[in-house]
Amino acid sequence: MSVVKKSERLKTLIVVLPILLLIFFCFYYCVGWNVFISFTDWEGFIPTRNLVGIRNYQQLFGDSIFWISLKNNLLLILIFVPGVVLLGLLFAILLDQKIRGENVFRTVYLLPFAMSFVVTATLWTWMYSPKEGMINVLLDKVGLGALGGGWITEPQIVMYCIIVALIWQFAGYSIIVFLGGIRSIPDAQTEAARMDGASDLTLYSKIIIPQLKSSFLTAVIVFLCFALKAFDFIWVLNKGGPGYSSHILGVAMYKETFVLDKYAYGASYSSVIFILSVAIVLPILSQIYGRETKS
Amino acid sequence: MRVNPIKRIILYAVLSIFAVLMLLPLWSGVTTALKTSKEVVLSTPIAPPLRPTLIPFRESLDYIGRSLMNSMVLVVSGVIVSCFFGSLLGYAFSKRSFPGSGVLFLLVVFCLYVPPQVQLIPMVRITSIIGLHGNLGALVLLYMLFGTPMCTFIFKTLYDDIPDSFIEAAKLDGAGVWLIHRRVILPLSAIPFIVAALLQVTIIWNDFIWGLVLTSGKSNLPVTVSLANLKGSFVAEWNLQMAGALWVAAPTLLIFIFLGKYVIRGYSAK
Repeated sequence: MSVVKKSERLKTLIVVLPILLLIFFCFYYCVGWNVFISFTDWEGFIPTRNLVGIRNYQQLFGDSIFWISLKNNLLLILIFVPGVVLLGLLFAILLDQKIRGENVFRTVYLLPFAMSFVVTATLWTWMYSPKEGMINVLLDKVGLGALGGGWITEPQIVMYCIIVALIWQFAGYSIIVFLGGIRSIPDAQTEAARMDGASDLTLYSKIIIPQLKSSFLTAVIVFLCFALKAFDFIWVLNKGGPGYSSHILGVAMYKETFVLDKYAYGASYSSVIFILSVAIVLPILSQIYGRETKS
Repeated sequence: MRVNPIKRIILYAVLSIFAVLMLLPLWSGVTTALKTSKEVVLSTPIAPPLRPTLIPFRESLDYIGRSLMNSMVLVVSGVIVSCFFGSLLGYAFSKRSFPGSGVLFLLVVFCLYVPPQVQLIPMVRITSIIGLHGNLGALVLLYMLFGTPMCTFIFKTLYDDIPDSFIEAAKLDGAGVWLIHRRVILPLSAIPFIVAALLQVTIIWNDFIWGLVLTSGKSNLPVTVSLANLKGSFVAEWNLQMAGALWVAAPTLLIFIFLGKYVIRGYSAK
């Protein structure tokens, strides 16, 4: 019996291994090759390349564009991530109040998330347009024209304009994650708490929110990963401008590699993005899967 | 239960205002796309057009029409292959034990979190070695493989709900991996296929960076790259830009409106 079993296990492996190897080639071989290239002086389609040690990284850490970009990724992590998580939690709780038409609200909130970043960046370029854009025109209409401004053309506030738009795009997803978490808590628990006369506030703060740990982990891991690898929205919105003011690592990497043809230097940017992602993802993943094996 | 009517009214007001805010950019896009260039300048962005016109939709379609077809090719080929691979792998991880399955599954999951930047340069190299760089074929191949980890994950999660007894019976009859997958698992897979396929459609249709890096020449571009080019070429022609954006947005918006519950299952499987 055990001999049969063993041969069957091997048979399964033989079926799945070719596909798995192909996938792992696309992901892990690429990671390895990218890191390797970051230690060379390769410039793209020229066949010659020499190992240059850590020269690219030395240049990177002395490059002010790198630090501007890293600072902007940090802004996304510190403002966009908590912003969209809290907004999602808040509206998930509001939607949990036996709302009539909950489906309609949920669908509407999720619509921005359905669209490509290229579409939303096009819409927001129009929203923020200083001359005819909706935000300045509406402010003008209600007599607050003084609050209007250049928005994404102003280096001081461009990142915050981007964060607002990104929160708009991801809010619906965040709501869905938390609503799913709230709905998976057994009714008996909330009923019991209500019987004991718990107010809405205690019900949520003491009973529901503490049980949303896996929703928090899901939301945080998705948004943190996004905050590190983001590129599309900003590139289409204003190419990381004005100047370098809204550069993030993904934008700087693309520009160095594919606009300026400095492939090896660009590879050092992407290695940094990868290392930061791993540093953030691994602890959270081990939380998620560590708990699963325990329970 | 005690229901305070004033609280209810405030609650609905907050939810509705938020809904309006969420719709505002899209609404402004729709009204602007229906206006002539002259009316765009003269009217408020949110005001509906006085004399609606479809010319922006026609002109933008001229610009991105070809790439709409390209993206459709990408979506169809990518969805079929990645769902097939995903269901096979998902079945193996869920119902079969094989040497190293635990570690291999974690390696598949981790693929979901690898930032694309780290694959861009190697993929440019690989596609140019096999002679596909610049070509739509590069993207066809790429999406087939890149969607597989996500599909594997979804199929595994949903197959975990199928009772093992279904498969044990077939195993006793001596059916192999492929045969059980085809005879027993696939017929039970309607929901996982819908969930995984809709998710892949959305992801592939909306993707931008791979098309930007791997394709060149107007006839090879996916629709998002085409729209970005349209945006760059017709800078002040907002009606044209908005109409183009709506062409690109329409398929995924329709999916979310009419099949949203399946898409949500895909995203919450993660």
